[in-house]
Amino acid sequence: MPLPPRDFNTIGPKEGQRFPDVSLSDQTGALVDLHEHRAGRPALVVFYRSAEW
Amino acid sequence: MNGVALFAISYDPVEILRGFAATHGITYPLLSDDGSHAMHGLGLINDRVQEDHAVYGIKPNPRHVNLPYPGVFVLDRDGVITQKRFYESYRERDTGTGLIAQALGIVTESSAPVVATNGPVVTARAWLDSPTYVFFQRVVLTVEVSIAPGFHVYGEPAGDGLTPLSIEIDAIDGLEVGPARWPSPRRFTQPGFTDGLWVHEGIVRGTVPLTFAAAPGGGDHAVGVTVRYQACDDASCVVPSSMHLRVPVREAALVGRSLPSPTSKT
Repeated sequence: MPLPPRDFNTIGPKEGQRFPDVSLSDQTGALVDLHEHRAGRPALVVFYRSAEW
Repeated sequence: MNGVALFAISYDPVEILRGFAATHGITYPLLSDDGSHAMHGLGLINDRVQEDHAVYGIKPNPRHVNLPYPGVFVLDRDGVITQKRFYESYRERDTGTGLIAQALGIVTESSAPVVATNGPVVTARAWLDSPTYVFFQRVVLTVEVSIAPGFHVYGEPAGDGLTPLSIEIDAIDGLEVGPARWPSPRRFTQPGFTDGLWVHEGIVRGTVPLTFAAAPGGGDHAVGVTVRYQACDDASCVVPSSMHLRVPVREAALVGRSLPSPTSKT
């Protein structure tokens, strides 16, 4: 029995908003500020389960 | 990637990401949200994972907490979210080409083959947003219909006895066909039709999402597409017609990842 679908409009930042500031370590351990690293370029921000499993 | 920044965020620690990036030659930032604090802050955590997994018969696992919904944000040059594509399941996702096209605000014909055919008064071209598919990937089919000047074809809702422009996909085992989307038709008034009619003119592009949901190993396909329409000018109509196109798509191998299964320890 499948679960009822989510309304993804209510989950996370919304279209039309600026994506929040995020600073996280990359695979080399360097801290990456998402907007700074974008440097004025459009971007795709992908959320995924895990690189491990 | 030219002109588009790409970021991938997961809860993996840096060491895991380092290994993954080295194995797959990834140079864009794989960001480590170890502890899922950023994903919590963004409100993207799926707090129903255990519930979902129970539905699929997957046993509870300590790794299955603090997981985000899988999805993609498309940001413009100012960092504003222009599109948000999230999915219930980790198995569904858009093609890379499709997402890049959205980020850049362009209509791509991608590197996939374009097929074309002619019918009375109308020509059609069709292509997928990727030349290949992988298991459970969503591939978007675009059908471009060019209507001769002075003619129109009927849109929805079509009046009694009229054939609206439509796309039908031939059945393929495991192929899930989403709803076709067309631009809004134009209202067209004609003596004798008091309610008016809805028509398309010129060049019209319709899209249909396709998901190849059969098990891996489904193989290459030619996706059969039937385009039905009825073309008229101000004076008379051509009989309802159809065109058939066959759009090739190859199955791409899943690289370096094993699919989770209900029996695996994860």
